[in-house]
Amino acid sequence: MANTVIGSSIVIDGEISGDEDLVIQGTVKGKIALKQSLFVEGTGTVEADIQTQNVEIAGAVTGNITATDKVELKANCRMVGDIKAPRILIADGASFKGNVDMD
Amino acid sequence: MADTSTIIGETILVNGNLSGDEDLLILGKVEGSISLTKTLHVQESGVVKANVQVKNAIISGIVVGNISASDSVEITEQGRMVGDIKAPRIIIVEGASFRGHIDMGDLEAQRPSSPLPIRNESPRPTLARTARPGLSAPSAFRPTTPAPAKAPAKGPEPTKAEAPKAPPPRPPAGKAPVAPPRPPPAVVTAGKKKVVVKKS
Repeated sequence: MANTVIGSSIVIDGEISGDEDLVIQGTVKGKIALKQSLFVEGTGTVEADIQTQNVEIAGAVTGNITATDKVELKANCRMVGDIKAPRILIADGASFKGNVDMD
Repeated sequence: MADTSTIIGETILVNGNLSGDEDLLILGKVEGSISLTKTLHVQESGVVKANVQVKNAIISGIVVGNISASDSVEITEQGRMVGDIKAPRIIIVEGASFRGHIDMGDLEAQRPSSPLPIRNESPRPTLARTARPGLSAPSAFRPTTPAPAKAPAKGPEPTKAEAPKAPPPRPPAGKAPVAPPRPPPAVVTAGKKKVVVKKS
């Protein structure tokens, strides 16, 4: 169970940083920097540059993602932006537009 | 607590504006502004440096900033707060730490705001007075010192130019005592050159 949850009616405009998992059900604009995992759930909307270890996206993300481990685009997610990570998974049904860099 | 779906965890720092229609539980750090239509809980580990607009606020951690609540603000035993509170109901329990202004709405007419501005204004003129002479004094000295230094440098140049012109007319005239009194400082140079003219 993740400690930090941004609820579905919450809007954050700014920067979020930290050392723990972050679950986003609401809206975040700006920048996200984590040392753990980011989960963007189905109701979640992120318009931000993201730097994390792992990212799982089921909602909508606009922005560039840099992950040290893995980025997973789940079915029904919408992602626009560039992804840079050693492991990138794109599920059937996911919508994605952008560049992928696995180097 | 499961319904209070938004939690800012202990290691999380949020810098910016946070708004929403649900309860917010802060264990980490939030800087900027918070605007909620429900309840804000700042837990013991939570640090908020923000202007807060909520319905209810329960503070067990640290809050620096102003809180405006439509219902109530409660500072618990562990709570520490610096800032102004505006709410119809304000609860500060024993052990809580608070510094700031409180406005419960109904007592607005009794609040004299004049004492605070007067205290702030009094030190300002004294600071301004001490600062002005300190700045004006050095600036007044600086322009005067370079001016005399340039004047003597220009002085000897015209005398040297006059000296070579003087010797030729003097020998034919034969009046040695007439030349020395005109330019006293140029006499020494003029005298040496007269000796050279005589040898030729």
